[in-house]
Order: sequence, then structure tokens, then C-alpha cells
Amino acid sequence: MSVTYTYDGSFEGFLTALALAVEKNLPDSAIVKEAAAEAGLFSEFIKAGSDPQKAAAARDLVESRGSAESWQHLRFAFLSEAPGAETAILEYVKLLAAKGPAADNMLADDRVKKVHGLSARVGGEAHRFKGFVRFKELADKTLYSKIEPDHNILPLLAPHFRARLGTFNWVIHDSRRNNAALYFKGKLVYAPLASARLLEDGKEAEVRELWKHFFKTAAIKERINPKLQRQNVPLKYRKNLTEFD
Amino acid sequence: MELQKKLEILADSAKYDASCASSGSDRGGAGGTGAAHLSGVCHSWTADGRCISLLKILMTNECVYDCAYCVNRRTNDTPKAILTPDEIAGLTFEFYKRNYIEGLFLSSGVTVSPDRTMELMLEAVRKLRQVFRFNGYVHLKVIPGADQALIDQAGLWADRVSVNIELPTDKSLRLLAPGKTKATVLGPMSRLARKISDSKDERRSIKSSPAFAPAGQSTQLIIGATPETDREIIKLSEALYDKMRLKRVYYSAFVPIIKDSRLPALLDPPLLREHRLYQADWLLRFYGFTADELLDEKHPSLDLSFDPKTVWALNNLHLFPLEVNKASYEEILRAPGIGVTSAKRILRARRAAPLSLDDLKKLGVVMKRAIYFVTAGGKYGGLKKESEEAIKIKLLEHKNPNGQLDLFGEAALVKAGLTETVTGQI
Repeated sequence: MSVTYTYDGSFEGFLTALALAVEKNLPDSAIVKEAAAEAGLFSEFIKAGSDPQKAAAARDLVESRGSAESWQHLRFAFLSEAPGAETAILEYVKLLAAKGPAADNMLADDRVKKVHGLSARVGGEAHRFKGFVRFKELADKTLYSKIEPDHNILPLLAPHFRARLGTFNWVIHDSRRNNAALYFKGKLVYAPLASARLLEDGKEAEVRELWKHFFKTAAIKERINPKLQRQNVPLKYRKNLTEFD
Repeated sequence: MELQKKLEILADSAKYDASCASSGSDRGGAGGTGAAHLSGVCHSWTADGRCISLLKILMTNECVYDCAYCVNRRTNDTPKAILTPDEIAGLTFEFYKRNYIEGLFLSSGVTVSPDRTMELMLEAVRKLRQVFRFNGYVHLKVIPGADQALIDQAGLWADRVSVNIELPTDKSLRLLAPGKTKATVLGPMSRLARKISDSKDERRSIKSSPAFAPAGQSTQLIIGATPETDREIIKLSEALYDKMRLKRVYYSAFVPIIKDSRLPALLDPPLLREHRLYQADWLLRFYGFTADELLDEKHPSLDLSFDPKTVWALNNLHLFPLEVNKASYEEILRAPGIGVTSAKRILRARRAAPLSLDDLKKLGVVMKRAIYFVTAGGKYGGLKKESEEAIKIKLLEHKNPNGQLDLFGEAALVKAGLTETVTGQI
């Protein structure tokens, strides 16, 4: 009989489940969110709860058997929110526990390839959004941006913008996850945010027009290449990009 | 004139400059607005698939010169505009805080004199740095013929500086750009190279000493306006990388926007040739090739149907196949179908376990090309009796399943895959 650990959806909850699963080390255990758990005849469910000490132990294990790099892969892969990511991470951590730091070199091993691959996708999307976030200035001078990324990249974006827009107040709103990073008077917090009522600054429309004109003008018509443009700015990202309005 | 109209004119005239990178600097820190990102960040891509990273504009498109290839030439009858330093600084800041851009790329036609032009450009960047306390990326064009003191200032305000060579030989310069000579271009370039390297040395011992163009300098060559061969161009780039320590040489396929009896009558910009030059350039910078290995006097042009690494490998079949479990990093990099990332992965993965041909695919190696050039654990997946001709035929079949060699088809394929070279993140 296989064992499935369920967790509350938080990172700490996940790490708690991970610690429990690695401790038991059963051959085909899995980790899923409580909300996603489906009762099966052949699986036993164990609710992991959320235990800071267990979570810390999981991190310790990953960093001591693996490295800082392993920990980053784990964190990024978790943020992917991809189906099966949690169980893939469990397999990866079991391998780390067994092989030590050499596991991260096993790039052709499916367990490693899976987690490294998810981590690369998340890192890639986060990098893309360092460019794709578009702020508008609101009447109170707060900068507001709405994003709808595939992965939960908000925690990776916020530090980037804190470093460069630290003199402003700003909000990055992940409307897909109803979550926001809010930077106000030098403090960064994350909070649930479903919808926002926006009152734009008077100058906003003018600057937006300037940007759209610039964008249109910058293309060389003898080189028009929509396929290449689509490859770089996939259609799914365009609805929140000012210049594609 | 309205700001919007000015911006349109001055962005339109600046767009033929291929440089777009915002990489190589990590400016930033306490106070002020903005920071640079070491790897650079692309913010959008225009309809031609080229990336927008910086607000790329001219300060003015007025020009005292009359270079035949240039859209801003004195005798070109287009509307002229000029932006004030305040307008440039203000616009950059407004765009930057909305995260439209990484910073400013400022170039200009020559208004009044090179010195006057440079002074105004510097004033714009000074405003941006000192009044707006802007720490984002600035790429500043140096105007050939401007005073040395002004050129030195450019390096203090900007992250990257550049002087465009545009035409690869002095002869072509004399023909098409009567106001310029090799000396007026290379003079400031070598001064910048010296200042950049001095400042690097100084900062190694005294951290607080001012940075001079920390992201280095770049240049641009126009391809197809003059008769230079690929070999001449790549040899020039090699010298610029080795002697001038340039960060990037950009290649810009000549777009025939103006008619002139001195210019070739081209129908389309030579995009495939431009692409091959970028590939060859990459081989110089990241793959350890020399220009002489890629092209010699008997073969001065890059092959349009194969990438330059494949051509080199086909001419050097005696060095292949390589055993991926034993060959050095430098050797592996030379196999077609293996790039820098997959070569590094091979080296890392083979420390854990010997690699098979199947493993190579998982590491991201393009097997349909690499298969003729590698073995894994002694296993070879290519042709039994490999010969240059046999491999060529196989490689072409992969490119063109219909079995016909169609250069236009190839051109379309290449055009679609231009990403890495044209956007040029590195």
C-alpha cells in the first residue's frame, strides 16, 4: 500500500510533508496538496500539518547532503506549481540523501532532470518578467503592475524591484493567484489581493502613448518577423504588456 | 514640435543601430532609482523580433556629415528634430520607473560640431545621473572627432560606450563616409580601451576609484553595403576583441533605405549572411576558434547552407568522432550540435556516471547533428563510412525533409531562429 502525504499548500507545510516522507523512505510515496488529494483504494493518506522544526530539518538535509544549489532547485521547482512537482521533489531529495552532492551531477537521471528542469522553467519565467512587469502610476504616485505568470514567481520578482524602485511605493499583483507583493515606505509584504480599484495619475495616459509610439517605430519594416516576435513574447503574456494593448 | 513627434523621428533614425544589450554592469546601491542587471534584461520585442532593452534614440537626426549609407545624412530630405537634455533625462526616467526599459541608449547625428554634440549628450546623461539620481543602464555613443576630455567624461557617466566603425575598411569609409576615416574612428576607440582597462586595474586596488564604462565598449559593422568579404570582417572582429578588448561587435545587415549610386542595389537586407557572421562571432568569443580556422583566402565567405562550426568540422573529419566521456571541454565545444551549455553539462554529468548516446539527448545535445561527430562509451550512431559528402547529404536531409536544397527555405528557417544572435543578451 502506498502512502500519500498531504499538506496545506504552504511551503512550510510542503517541507513538513517532505521531512516525514524522507524519514519513512517508503518506495512509492507521494506528496500532494490537501485540496488536490483524491481518495484512492490503494493509498493511505497522511496529513502532514505544518511544523517549523520539521521544515527546518528538511532544509538542513537538502543543504547538508546536497548544496545551496540543491536548495535553490527545490525552492524554484516548488514555485512551479506544476502537477506532480511535489512528488518529483521528494524523489530528488531521496536521491540527494542517498548519493550526497554527486546527485546534482547526475543530469541524465530522470529524477534530477525533472527537478532541475522545473527549476529552470521558473528561473526563466522570473527572468522574463523582470522585463515584462509594466507599472502604471496611480494618483497617489504608487506604481501598480498586474501580472499573470504560469509559475508563482512573485517571491523572485519582488527583491529585484525593491533593489531598483526602492524610492517608490509599488504593488505587483499576481491576479492569477490573487496575491500581491506590496512595497510601502521601504517595507515589503505579501498579501492576498483579489481585485484592485485603480485611479491613474493624470500624466499616465500620455507616457503610455509615448511608449507605444516608440515601440511601434523601433521595428524595421524590412525585417518584420512575427514568428520570432512570438517566440520572444508569447501571446499569453501580451495582455498585460502596455505596448501590445 | 510635440514631444511625441520628436520621439518618433529620433527613434526611427536610431533603430538601425543593432546594439541592444543592457548587460555587463551591476551599478546600483543605496539611494537613487534604478540598478543594472549583470546579465541584462530584455523588456519587449518589436515586430521584427529584435529586443528592446533600452530607450534607443538619437539626440538629434541633424547631421553635418553626408555618409551615403546613413538615413540621417545631410542631404536626406527628412524631418529633423532635436531633444533637449531635460527631455531626454525626463523621458528615460518616466519609462524606467514603469519598467518599460533598462535604461538609455543615446546616439546622435552631429549638430554644429562633434564637440557641441558630445557636450549636449553628456549634459543629458549628467542630468539623469545627478538630478534624477538614476542608477540604471546608460549606453552612450561617442562622436568621432570630439575632444578627448569629452570622450573621457562619457566613460564616467555611462555603463557602456561605443564608436561605430560601420564600414570595415578605410577604402569603403572614404567612398561612403567622406567625413570619416579609419583614424577618426579607431582613435577614440583605442583611447576608450585604454581608459577602461586602466580603471579596471585601479579599482582592483582601490575599490572607491570611479568606474569607467564598466560594461566596456562595443561597435557595429554594416554588412552588404560594401564589397568586404566575411573573412575580412571576421578578421577585423577578432582584432577588435583581442586588441581593443571590445565586449561586442554587432553586425547590421544593410537596409537600402536611400538610393545612392555608390551603394549596391539590394532587394532585401542580407539577413542570412548577418546570421552566419553572428555565429562565427560566437565561435570566436565562446568556442575558442580563430578567424583563420573558420575562413581562409581560398574560402573567404561563410557557407550559407551550413553553420560555420559544421563547415569547420566537415573540413576536419580526421579529428572526429570524439569520445564524449574522454574529450576535453575545448574539444567537445567543437562538435556540431553541442553548445556551451550542453558541453558544460556533459563535463558535469560524466563525473557522476559514464554517458551513453541516449544520455546526450537528455543533456540537450542536438543529436541529429552531433551524431556524426561523437561516440559515447565507444558507440557511434552516425554513418558507417563517414565522409564529408555523406554527412553533408544527411545534414541537409534533416534541414529539408523534401530532399531538395532550397536556399529560400533555409533562409526562412534561419530567420525564425535568429533569437540568440539578434537579441544578443550576452
